[in-house]
Amino acid sequence: MQFKKKYVAISLLASTIAVAVAALPPSVQEFKNLKVLPKNISSKDLSRIMIDDFEDGLGVSCGFCHAEEKDSHRLDYASDAKPEKKIARLMMQMTMGINKKYFNLKHPLIGDSTLVIGCSTCHKGQPHPGDLEEQ
Amino acid sequence: MKNDNFISLDENDDGIDRAGFLKCMAWAGTGLFCMMSGGVLKSYGMSQLMDKATGRIKKNIDIAKGDFSFVQISDSHIGFNKPANPDVLGTLQAAISKINAMPSTPSFILHTGDLSHLAQAEEFDTLDQAMKSAKTGKIFYVPGEHDVLNDNGKQYLQRYGKDTKGNGWYSFDFNGAHFIGLVNVVDTAEGGLGVLGNEQLEWLENDVKGLSSSTPIVVFAHIPLWAVYPQWGWGTRDSAQALSYLKRFGSVSVLNGHIHQTLQKVEGNITFHTATSTAFPQPQPGTAPAAGPMKVPAEQLRNLLGITSVNYVEHDHTLAVTDLPLTNKDEKQPEHQ
Repeated sequence: MQFKKKYVAISLLASTIAVAVAALPPSVQEFKNLKVLPKNISSKDLSRIMIDDFEDGLGVSCGFCHAEEKDSHRLDYASDAKPEKKIARLMMQMTMGINKKYFNLKHPLIGDSTLVIGCSTCHKGQPHPGDLEEQ
Repeated sequence: MKNDNFISLDENDDGIDRAGFLKCMAWAGTGLFCMMSGGVLKSYGMSQLMDKATGRIKKNIDIAKGDFSFVQISDSHIGFNKPANPDVLGTLQAAISKINAMPSTPSFILHTGDLSHLAQAEEFDTLDQAMKSAKTGKIFYVPGEHDVLNDNGKQYLQRYGKDTKGNGWYSFDFNGAHFIGLVNVVDTAEGGLGVLGNEQLEWLENDVKGLSSSTPIVVFAHIPLWAVYPQWGWGTRDSAQALSYLKRFGSVSVLNGHIHQTLQKVEGNITFHTATSTAFPQPQPGTAPAAGPMKVPAEQLRNLLGITSVNYVEHDHTLAVTDLPLTNKDEKQPEHQ
């Protein structure tokens, strides 16, 4: 009988812990040196912006804006060594500004599906919109 | 747009049969059947081989039964939900159904990367769950660049990197053939080209050092190990070094993904083959401003997705590579969206 009580108590404790763990928010990965994108952005939202807005919108890969680590080909995502990254920040601010000023979006955010103007509006898969005119 | 780096092949052409150095690529949107013997490739358009009524190889075509077979799938992009294919899980499951309906159970499956679209835990979970329904002995993976976003592949390695070296490369032997899984997506080069890196190259050199030259070699990696279209990052910067270690072997097959379409090239003893995606097609090299998901009419989508089946015949050291679209051209398409 005593064994049965112990077993029930342990089972209840285990269930409580399992429920508590399941209720925890997903771990937030901290990204360094974010200046325009929200500092608490989720990994999923950040990746979606990088892939859907930048990679597909401009037809580029990560190394277009991100510099490599010293003595390695691995990318240093926090580094500001490449001027393209600075330009990307200006472009994000410009895009949000246009959406706010001309399309009356109160809190425009890059990656938000409600944006009227996005990267591909002008870039159309090209790193530089001017390239399209030359074709 | 004219593209001089690319040779289009009429689907009715019976293919390539040349000795020595051979530089040729074949494009066939609906699939391609290939047999390789001693560094010579013969290729056939799938329309010549497939019975449109059954979706299987025509009965009157004599294809040697392999000692074993395996299947390559690629670029599942679980988590992708754009108009090019809002149901990537559905098309992956269709690919698995195609595998499960094959006349003989493949010994194993090679997945050549981009399992996920955004390297999220739930995307990997969904892929794992779907792959459990595939009837096969084992599944081998290499990462695509989408699987290593943000964390340089740490999560991928935790999930799929057991018993691998470095960023996840490894080799294994099966029925006398030597299989090598390479990783060319963690380090990158200008323009998005893949990079293998010195550590992996040194490992590869040592890995094949003790093998007899008659050992059939199968290399698989995500980004093509040949310069498909470097302007779009469709190539690997230091692949020449890797391939130099394989020149002495009589039969080398290189299987890649990344470009979401079937392309082939034979160069000496090495046959290169890229697979279609199970998720969405991409434009042919140079035919669009940039690479990326290509939206096609819903009824065409599954003709541009598919799997690659490989039969290995031990006596001839021959690999017969068959690309199977998810549906046949004349088959009525299910409602997709």
